[in-house]
Amino acid sequence: MVEVEKQMDSANKVKPKSDAIYLLFLLPVFVVLGFLDFYPIAWTINISLTNFSEAHFFTYSYVGLTNFYNVLTSPTLTTVIMNNIVFAGSSILLMAGLGFGVALLITQPGIRGKTVFRSLILVPWAFPAFITILIWKNLLDQHFGAVNQVLSLLFHVSPNWTGSVPLAMISVILVNLWLSLAYYTFVYTASLQSIPQELYDAAQMDGYGTLSRVRNIVIPLLSRQIAFITIFGFIFAWSNFYIPYLLTSGEPGISTQILITYSYTEAFSYLSYGVAAVYSIISVLILLVMVIIVNHYSKMMSILY
Amino acid sequence: MQNIDETVKKTGFGKKYENTTKLNTHYRRIRRIKLGISYLLLTAICIYSIFPIYYIFLTSLSPLANLTSTNFSTLLPFHDYYSFNNYYGIIFKNPFPLWLENTLILTTTSTLIGVGLSITTGIAFSRYRIPGKRALLYMLLVLSMFPFTIMVIPFYFMFSQLHLLDTYIGLIIPYSAGAVIFSSWLIKNYVDNLPRDYEEAATLDGYSRTGALFRVLVPMAKPAILLAVVLAFMGPYTDYALAGQFITSTKLYTMAIGMYYISQGTITVNYGVYSAFAILMGIPIFILFFFFQKYIVAGFSIATYK
Repeated sequence: MVEVEKQMDSANKVKPKSDAIYLLFLLPVFVVLGFLDFYPIAWTINISLTNFSEAHFFTYSYVGLTNFYNVLTSPTLTTVIMNNIVFAGSSILLMAGLGFGVALLITQPGIRGKTVFRSLILVPWAFPAFITILIWKNLLDQHFGAVNQVLSLLFHVSPNWTGSVPLAMISVILVNLWLSLAYYTFVYTASLQSIPQELYDAAQMDGYGTLSRVRNIVIPLLSRQIAFITIFGFIFAWSNFYIPYLLTSGEPGISTQILITYSYTEAFSYLSYGVAAVYSIISVLILLVMVIIVNHYSKMMSILY
Repeated sequence: MQNIDETVKKTGFGKKYENTTKLNTHYRRIRRIKLGISYLLLTAICIYSIFPIYYIFLTSLSPLANLTSTNFSTLLPFHDYYSFNNYYGIIFKNPFPLWLENTLILTTTSTLIGVGLSITTGIAFSRYRIPGKRALLYMLLVLSMFPFTIMVIPFYFMFSQLHLLDTYIGLIIPYSAGAVIFSSWLIKNYVDNLPRDYEEAATLDGYSRTGALFRVLVPMAKPAILLAVVLAFMGPYTDYALAGQFITSTKLYTMAIGMYYISQGTITVNYGVYSAFAILMGIPIFILFFFFQKYIVAGFSIATYK
């Protein structure tokens, strides 16, 4: 008894203002992050100020802001940023829009076989992305691809999906849609199911149709979640490396290069690491500025507390 | 209710009732059309989702000669030329067991380290009053925005200076770190929503505060932890960007590299072999996903919003 009382006593007494000692629990994580995030970030900033490249591999020197100047004045940067905006913007609009639509269809009362539909929609997600992207590359091949086999049989056309200018970007966006649809469908299904049934019943009593139900109940109730999912979707799509890199390698020309793939190309194809670092930094800076602006208006970071 | 019915009868509103039944059949017809359209749309979406997988499954079963002459009929499921040669070739004529072993060593080690660290970080963030917690959480969020691929270039030079290129450790460190940020986040959010009663009871039973936390919360946070395991496993299992740059000696090839090596090695891509390899690599993940489907969905909805 005395033991228990003592412990209860200490449990009541020991309520320190802060648990500084428990920072120890976070120590391993922050050591790892320091090693693998802070150091590489510092390295990238450092290297962006040098002429580090294949020609100056062992004898690179600091060149100030020359790399930044060259990149910022080159027409490539504008093209790549525009590509990135088109890619991330249309991807997120399509993915979130279609995902929301499919979720609405699935959660409709009276639909049977929900599990079957949901399982089938989940299939793309179950295969490693880099495999399925290369499968799409095969499917979209101009001469032997299955898509063009069907199209040429039905409509006698065989477009060059990955090799001509507007189509290549459209292919990249559609493959991104294919990969991400499952995620958005599931997230929206979960949030639609969180709406209490009574509201739907009341809407039915008032004679609401599907559209007015969505407009008057679903969208107002889920607006915060929809905004959050969309913003994070955009951040993720912004630096979605694999799809442009594997599907089109940024070709034709640089028409499907986004900042992150272009940085990779500069580093590993042209071997000019300083310039590559500049592109990385620009990509992250644009993202950070965007996040700060969005947070200022939407307070999305409130999820933290 | 009866009163209303009687009043309706008395005042002769029967005709209105007739109208209502007519309206009902009208609505029912509209509803049926709506359902029909919904089924059509859902079926179309499902076909879009599974067609590529269906296609590579067929391709993986057909011998090479038929591939160069792909036509519409090869897209239909029934043929007499099916063979398992592609699968046989991958498994028995290539060091497939070695690639599998390497992949499993990398994935299990980095999953264990990554999820272990995430559990301590997540619980610590959720339950302890840590100085500067908000700033640290902000930092984690901002760091999660840095794409992994940006790190590949600095890693390459960093690891070559440390002589960690072309080693297991050189891959395990970034893989486990890659999982930590999102998983800590996930576990923290999940634990935030768990009641504190149980751990307080455990403290009274004589456990130390830390002991109580971990003994009680780890089993309770099972869904979030399982999701973290799945995600931590998926990263290294599917990685090519990092492994493809770091690994040069053939005895350390992972499945992803091996797949590139045997299907892209020659001038023309051997799609039959590639497809068979894709199916071989996809099946374990497929099983994992269907096994954990419930947790994945629950976990993702927790991760995206509270």
